[in-house]
Amino acid sequence: MKILVLLAGVTDIRFPLHPISLNSQATIDEQGSPRRVLSPFDEAALEVALKLRDACATTQIDVLLLEGANSENLMRSVAAFRPDSLHCLELKPLQLWDARQTAAQIAGLIKRDYGGHELVLVGRELGDLDEGSIAVLLARKLGRSQFSMAQSGQWQGEQLWLMRERGTCEEWLEVDQPLLASVTNDRRNKLRYPLMKNVMQAKRMTFPHVAASAPVRAGLTLSQLQAAPVIPRLGQCRLLSGDVGQQAKALACWLKEQGVNP
Amino acid sequence: MSRILAVIPQAWGAQALEAALGAAQQVSAGQDFAAVLISCEPSAHDAELAIRAGARQVYQSVHGALGECDEPQVLVAAVGEALRAIPRLGGEVPLVLLPPGPPGEELAALLADALDGQALGRCLALRFEGERLVAERAAWGGRMRVCLHVDSGPAFACLRAARPQFNAQAEADIFTIELHGQLPRTLTLDQRQSGQHLPPLEGARLVVSGGRGVNEQGFVLLEELAVNLGGTLGGSLPAVDAGMVPVLRQVGVSGKFVSPQIYLAVGISGTLQHLAGVSLDSCIVAINQDPEADIFKVASLGIVAPWETMLPALLDELR
Repeated sequence: MKILVLLAGVTDIRFPLHPISLNSQATIDEQGSPRRVLSPFDEAALEVALKLRDACATTQIDVLLLEGANSENLMRSVAAFRPDSLHCLELKPLQLWDARQTAAQIAGLIKRDYGGHELVLVGRELGDLDEGSIAVLLARKLGRSQFSMAQSGQWQGEQLWLMRERGTCEEWLEVDQPLLASVTNDRRNKLRYPLMKNVMQAKRMTFPHVAASAPVRAGLTLSQLQAAPVIPRLGQCRLLSGDVGQQAKALACWLKEQGVNP
Repeated sequence: MSRILAVIPQAWGAQALEAALGAAQQVSAGQDFAAVLISCEPSAHDAELAIRAGARQVYQSVHGALGECDEPQVLVAAVGEALRAIPRLGGEVPLVLLPPGPPGEELAALLADALDGQALGRCLALRFEGERLVAERAAWGGRMRVCLHVDSGPAFACLRAARPQFNAQAEADIFTIELHGQLPRTLTLDQRQSGQHLPPLEGARLVVSGGRGVNEQGFVLLEELAVNLGGTLGGSLPAVDAGMVPVLRQVGVSGKFVSPQIYLAVGISGTLQHLAGVSLDSCIVAINQDPEADIFKVASLGIVAPWETMLPALLDELR
């Protein structure tokens, strides 16, 4: 089976945000060398693919990683997992706030270069500006069914099944037609550590770029970019004092006062 | 005709209905809006709620083959047919609001593509400036805010707003739209029991939630505490990653949005991304052994203690 994994990377939230501004062409400029990592959803998509290859050696994994600030380091991180191919994906124009535009660009490329891939895996949010619209639109533009919030995959004989949880049930889907699955984080798809020899090998690699274009869509303009305002919460925390027993008693009393009845 | 439409698939339940009506009420700011209810049979109760929330036109859009289907990929066909049947919306840029949450965001994107509109996704604010629609969205993990101008529509968006106010005296025109278009096939899924038995996060009045600082034994205690208090269990993204709690219980910007009366956060540091999933109306109670944890800046009540001693003591106290 051929699997295409689409990754984006996000800015590492453990570090201060790098300078980001809006330029005169109404596109985004990112300065400096921000620390960029795979998001939990990117990691999950990649790990699902790796596990499927572990279990069936004929599985082919091709990876597209969206270009962005400091892409080179992120490409090396992904290369250390030894996908069969890895390309840096340049979107022209790069307008990630417009999910329709982005999906159209990527769909065009997939149809052209990866049309024979039975499974496309995408993290359920693609990058720092997506909140879950791109995967569903990509499936629509590719004319594929979409399985959202996939958590794991496994072979049963020669047949691939994907799983997600909903309510009190696990839902299993047999992949018997070209499919796009958006993958979410789960204990079963926590990304492994790469082998050190592969990390060292990845440091010496160079990576090909591939471009995806689509005409600029009219009607939606990025007009402003600013630091998020601090959202006020009432808070004013009252700390419960005393030893553990006294604190527990005080909290239990407070809960009863709020109408919580054990 | 109003330029704002709230589209509500009735299979998504009462909470989705209220959330979409709340959003429409907020954006319309006292002006007219319309509601489109999508279902397999009309619901007088839902229509009445929409009217009492301020809808001036209610379109009961009925497709007999929908059944209880809640899949956006199927609903898009029915909603698209309904929207095409409604007389042209007022204003240069009509705004179609879907219930907030992942299914609403998916449906908004699909509708935008099907009707050649703008997919605005999960918005923090929406307002009209003359004929133009302005949308604000979070980006870069909630640390930046992007402002989008929409000059041609229709625009499709989700907005999380306060609960709607209901007026007992309201009136509206009610229309019925019979839908007959072919619906896409749903995926054939094999369903198996997952072992989950706790109530869902949606609608819970009390959520006991654990974070990176709590291990597997701790989550057993948190579950016992949630059951004991008549609430349910949640967790932060690192707790889900560590396999402590299933992803459908993840609270935060990439998980569920919860609005319980009390949110009991145990071993949760209080990142911006996690707190984005907890309603401003919720009262946060924090248990954390780090007195400098950010969660204490937003909590109403706090205990500085390790969960290993505090949770057994609290359970003893409640027994």
